[in-house]
Amino acid sequence: MITRKIQYQMAKRAVGPFLMALDRWQQTQKARKRKPRETPFGPVLQSVQKLKEIMTLNYFEGRYADGAVPVVWVTSGFPAEVFFALGFHVVYPENHAALCSTRHQVPEIAEFAERDGLSRDVCSYARSDIGSVISGKTPVGRLPKPDMIACCTNICQTVLYWYRNLAEYLNVPLLLVDTPFMYGGTKEHHLAYVSAQLGEVIEAAEKISGRRMDSEKLAKVVENARDGSRLWGECLSISQARPAPWTGIDTFFHIAPIVTIRGTDLCNEYYRMLKDELTERVKAGIGGIKNEKHRLLWDNLPIWFKVREHSTMTAECGFNFVCATYSNAWAEAGDLIDPSRPLESAAKTYTYVYLNRDLDNRLKTTVDLARNFGVDGAVLHSDRSCKPYSVGQVDVKERLQKDMGIRVLLLEADHADERSMSGEQAELRLQAFMESFNE
Amino acid sequence: MRKEYIERQKREHGRKVVISLPIHYPKEVLTALDILCVELWGPPGEALSSQAGRIQTYVCPIVRKALAFIAGGFASDADALLFPHTCDSIQGLASLIPDFGGWDGPILRFIHPKGERRASSEVYLSKELDDFISQAETLAGRKLETARLADAVRLHVEIDDLRRRIIESRRNIAMSDKELYAALRRGEWLWPEDHLAELKELAAEISDKPQKKGVALMLSGIVPEPMDIFEALEGAGAYVVADDYAAVGRRISAPLSELPDDPRRAIMERYFALPPCSTRSSDLAGRVEYLAALYKKSGAAGLVLHNIKFCEPEMFDVAMIKKRFTTMGAPLLYMETELEKQLSGQLSTRLEAFVEMASKGGAVK
Repeated sequence: MITRKIQYQMAKRAVGPFLMALDRWQQTQKARKRKPRETPFGPVLQSVQKLKEIMTLNYFEGRYADGAVPVVWVTSGFPAEVFFALGFHVVYPENHAALCSTRHQVPEIAEFAERDGLSRDVCSYARSDIGSVISGKTPVGRLPKPDMIACCTNICQTVLYWYRNLAEYLNVPLLLVDTPFMYGGTKEHHLAYVSAQLGEVIEAAEKISGRRMDSEKLAKVVENARDGSRLWGECLSISQARPAPWTGIDTFFHIAPIVTIRGTDLCNEYYRMLKDELTERVKAGIGGIKNEKHRLLWDNLPIWFKVREHSTMTAECGFNFVCATYSNAWAEAGDLIDPSRPLESAAKTYTYVYLNRDLDNRLKTTVDLARNFGVDGAVLHSDRSCKPYSVGQVDVKERLQKDMGIRVLLLEADHADERSMSGEQAELRLQAFMESFNE
Repeated sequence: MRKEYIERQKREHGRKVVISLPIHYPKEVLTALDILCVELWGPPGEALSSQAGRIQTYVCPIVRKALAFIAGGFASDADALLFPHTCDSIQGLASLIPDFGGWDGPILRFIHPKGERRASSEVYLSKELDDFISQAETLAGRKLETARLADAVRLHVEIDDLRRRIIESRRNIAMSDKELYAALRRGEWLWPEDHLAELKELAAEISDKPQKKGVALMLSGIVPEPMDIFEALEGAGAYVVADDYAAVGRRISAPLSELPDDPRRAIMERYFALPPCSTRSSDLAGRVEYLAALYKKSGAAGLVLHNIKFCEPEMFDVAMIKKRFTTMGAPLLYMETELEKQLSGQLSTRLEAFVEMASKGGAVK
């Protein structure tokens, strides 16, 4: 235990930062030697290096976390502030699965879960993470074994089916926050239920970790989460400028801190830095792409394994994804969080999540984004792996076309598994969609 | 026949009619308020209207076909729709129809708690039940009387007891599985007292001696559609000896040692006493052990996991069930259907081969 604690602290405070510094130095050397490449994008954001360091360090410390500090795996919509306040190392399997996809490792890893009987029709994130647990294969070296896993159903019910399996494979307890779906407004007993479950989660987490919740610490984490969420929203809003100083595709990657280290000082420092840089770019008229002719909205999760190809293809034709319902989801909660009433406000904040609300509200949010960011088209990713996000898109497409007069493409793909998508067909459809703007 | 029956219920008894999506909801409340509940499991066969195209083809066919049915105007005789919170897809449908068109009438919702029984979920279920009662009262246009609710609870307990007895004694009933399932599933739309009368007649058919011969199988899944799966099994020399369909066996609450006097409390206890179900996100290990115990107790020679294509809750349980049954050395067949009208030749052949393997105590698939 002591050795493990020393290893963890060394990884966190010495080895990790040293490796990051080394990597920074190597990157600088490479950049000096590299011949500048012609791309349709604006200059690379300076913050990217910092983002890379934060995320790499987070996964690097994770390798040594189990046995040193309590470890929990959580869903992206879980009120993880309670775990940060208790000193847990928090792992986000969704983020990990997305990483597997960007590295094109999903087919190989998910196959282990499929061999065990998990159908290829279920969420590819789930298959990737379960496959990773079975095989030990991961692009991050090693994931720490959790002391428990925690699931909140505010983004889908799928996470609960997925985490029930993880709990069995890992042989650890599963903590649940079940958030009743919101049709119109919420009901008092729904919020009371979420609040009561949060109390149960804290009690269980205290028992498992052997630590007591410090209410001041929790209030500080919650305050940070509120500020972080607001800062993230401000970063996104900057893209209302023309040209937008970054791309919606960039936001898919820069979302990582608000998802994975929400509530920490580091998260907020990062977004302050990013916000400053984006503001400067707007002042200097620097765009996320060089020649922004059309502005698009993206709906649903990214197609992680194709992000680079699709963004390059669209940027070359002067199309920039300036906003995305997916990235926006983490910016919506900021004003609901109240550090003086952490649990009560968390119940509301985590119930009012975009995906936990009816389609009417989702359409309204999409229309607001489209208006505020002045888009003239939208791509709705009909995601085979995310049915709850995709149900309703056929109608949303019609409404956006009819009510807003914008062009909309419904593009069928998968957020992580390249085997579930016909790449060529999707590219042809994207191409045809962009050509339609010239008609 | 179903349509005529429903019309008669309205005309002769003045009953309101609610069309409900699957699976779990407090039917006792509707019975006590004289509301006939008709369940919508698709319906099977071709989608009844082009409205199905409003939901992607990779989503559960029950939901797509239900959308085609409702938005195609086939639910116009109903006074309301009921959406239990079964899964993401039904939840999406419950929003799609009122928000984007397809149904303008009243909608009832019952968002039951997920996961294991906890202090928080007990309190929540109690409040959600109150909320559901209030929605149903508004539809019925009158207050719910406690005495009538208590009567309704007793009626549904009796129905469950009989259904359990019939399923457990099915070996001793000289009736094909298809006929038996059709009889049990009439409870999805009959007025409960009429269903009870039919069940009593059926129970009277239980003989002292086994009436079935062949390979005994256990079936698990969401809904036994297409129903000619039973003919295919019978043709291959098998019969069903244990049931874990969400539409059938998983809806029968385990008998309570004592039924609480307060009917609301009784409904809650009956909810928590339901067999484990993926759609309620019951503890996975608990569900697997429940299935293993049911299998052993029934003396089945094989398990058919019969899922509806794209049913996520059920698909996620398959790996652990397979693991457990492999350990037991029990033959297992996984198959998917899409609420088609008839079983495909390919599936019939797979069933035949499986029955043959199970009859020999063959290797696990």
